[in-house]
Amino acid sequence: MTGMSTVTFRKVAKRYGPVTALEALDLHVEAGEFVSLLGPSGSGKTTTLNLLAGLIDADEGTILIGDRDVTHLPPERRDLAMVFQNYALYPHLTVFENIAFPLESRKPVPDAREIRARVERVAETLGIGALMARYPKEISGGQQQRVALGRAMVRDPRVFLLDEPLSNLDARLRIRMRRDLKALHASLGSTIVYVTHDQSEAMTLSSRIAIFDKGRLQQLGTPAAIYDRPVNLFVANFVGDRETNVLAAEPVATDGRLAVRTAFGLVDLDRPASAVRGPASGPLRLGVRPEAMRLDPAGDAPAAVVLTELAGADLYVTLRAAGGEELVVRADPRDGVPAIGQGLTVRLDPARVHLFDAESGVAVSHGGSDGSSPNP
Amino acid sequence: MTASSVILRSAARERSALPPGVGRRLLVRWAVNGIIATFALFPILWGLSSSLKPADRIMEFPPRLLPQTPTLEHYARVFGDGASGYILNSILVSGATVLATLGFGALAGYALARFDFRGRGTLMALTVAVMSIPVASLLVPTFTLLSAAGLIDTRLGLVLLYTAYQLPVVIWMLYGYFRTLPVEIENAARIDGCTPLATLRKVVLPLSKPGLVAAALFVLVFAWNDFVVAVTMTSSEATRTFPVAIYFYLGFYGREWGPLLAASIVSIVPIVAVFIALQRHFMSGLTGGGVKG
Repeated sequence: MTGMSTVTFRKVAKRYGPVTALEALDLHVEAGEFVSLLGPSGSGKTTTLNLLAGLIDADEGTILIGDRDVTHLPPERRDLAMVFQNYALYPHLTVFENIAFPLESRKPVPDAREIRARVERVAETLGIGALMARYPKEISGGQQQRVALGRAMVRDPRVFLLDEPLSNLDARLRIRMRRDLKALHASLGSTIVYVTHDQSEAMTLSSRIAIFDKGRLQQLGTPAAIYDRPVNLFVANFVGDRETNVLAAEPVATDGRLAVRTAFGLVDLDRPASAVRGPASGPLRLGVRPEAMRLDPAGDAPAAVVLTELAGADLYVTLRAAGGEELVVRADPRDGVPAIGQGLTVRLDPARVHLFDAESGVAVSHGGSDGSSPNP
Repeated sequence: MTASSVILRSAARERSALPPGVGRRLLVRWAVNGIIATFALFPILWGLSSSLKPADRIMEFPPRLLPQTPTLEHYARVFGDGASGYILNSILVSGATVLATLGFGALAGYALARFDFRGRGTLMALTVAVMSIPVASLLVPTFTLLSAAGLIDTRLGLVLLYTAYQLPVVIWMLYGYFRTLPVEIENAARIDGCTPLATLRKVVLPLSKPGLVAAALFVLVFAWNDFVVAVTMTSSEATRTFPVAIYFYLGFYGREWGPLLAASIVSIVPIVAVFIALQRHFMSGLTGGGVKG
């Protein structure tokens, strides 16, 4: 593979009138890496992808593909391949012609035999060899998706751009295509920039994830780092199958160890009081995922069950404290389903409890074996 | 049995098989369509009928719907007078006009539809404004212009004028059509390596067939039928177009209805043929399946 390239954004900004779509983005993607741009709509992730593709023009900053400054190059001179959310197949061309299109649109154009061989090899890999003579409207959504992938793969581009390529598929097919994409990345070894708003897609596919919100890159890290050590409340909430529970927390000094008082009782965070970074004097928020807690029928039972949701393997129990604050806990349905109104105690896993500054939402303390301070 | 009672009975039969009200709706639709068709077609059919009558029977009173002794003498006369040359002139001028307007119109329409450049809004407003200038008011200035360029009494001159008159409408039509295409397909083409011009040629134009056909027919009808511009700008027989030739049957010595009607019928045929040939392209749906959602 000669195609592999790094991608670098240096202080790249994009504005639409008074609206800032992307603010001073610094991002470096290593050659061969699979990086997901994750965020809600309007967060700047698609803007970032379109800037890289050359479909929109940056107002400030520099974009590099490898060592090449592409900031002001038109899309056709950037040597990329892209899969669009709606596939964007050429409706007037057959599947074969669609896949051959990128080969025929760049000089030097390979001879017809070479084109046929390459298109057939790609179609073979994707299992669409039997569809070559059909038109896009004559094949299913999943097949269209594969043709779009094939059209991107047929050349040997420096970087693959994928814009929510799975969002139009049904749930089952999406999971299968996810696996196929991962296998594809492993076999091609190419650099992939992948846009999605689906956190589980980003978690399962990526080498690293870049999380965007309000036109800003919030955090860049491996899926594990993002899941275990979110830099702020937004990231903590966005990643994970369910939202992170957020409780008002008041620090309590107990001979050098860090503990906080919440509506659900006193929580010993099992770390030194010095583990809180920054101005910890202000009010705090405690963040804990549903899967980082367990229910205990013993104890002083400060909370009552208000809702139980059985989701197959898991049971989600919503508890309400006397003050009205709520907490969702993941439990094992084999331990029995608690009755509505039943009083329960929650045990939090201190290693997986995060503290955030209440005002800014910035993380000030993470649990975990490797110490206590958040990402520098 | 009268025709209307037949229709009523067949409508009644349909009513038994179709949901209530459908039979009546069909009847009303047939009646309305029939009235419109009669109104539109009667003059043409009357002309066709009369063109097949011997000269002394055309003006007979009371008039007959169908010729008693059909004859092709008027058609023979028209072609004997050199109609083929005039028809050829019309075909050349109309064809070249269609090609020129579509070529320039596609380039301009695409630029306006997809590129953001300074003065784009002004240019679009101007394009629309120019459309409202009546051709007649341009005859004298364009005649002067054409003489200065040495293109008076040439087919090229006619083509240039027709193109100038029709280009704004074509730009507007194609601009509108291009805007309906999903832009992702063009983005895909760009990323796959096409320059903007290659994208237009390989992706946009093939997907715009219905729009191109509509614009082409619009221009063709104008160029094929134009009389006033052609009669002003040409004088020799070598450059005479068919509508001008037809006019010459309204001659000094009276109106020669037979050849006039025969020539008119002949002039209708190519247009009708083109419309029928291109009919299926009016139907869009060509972009179906390329873009999901």
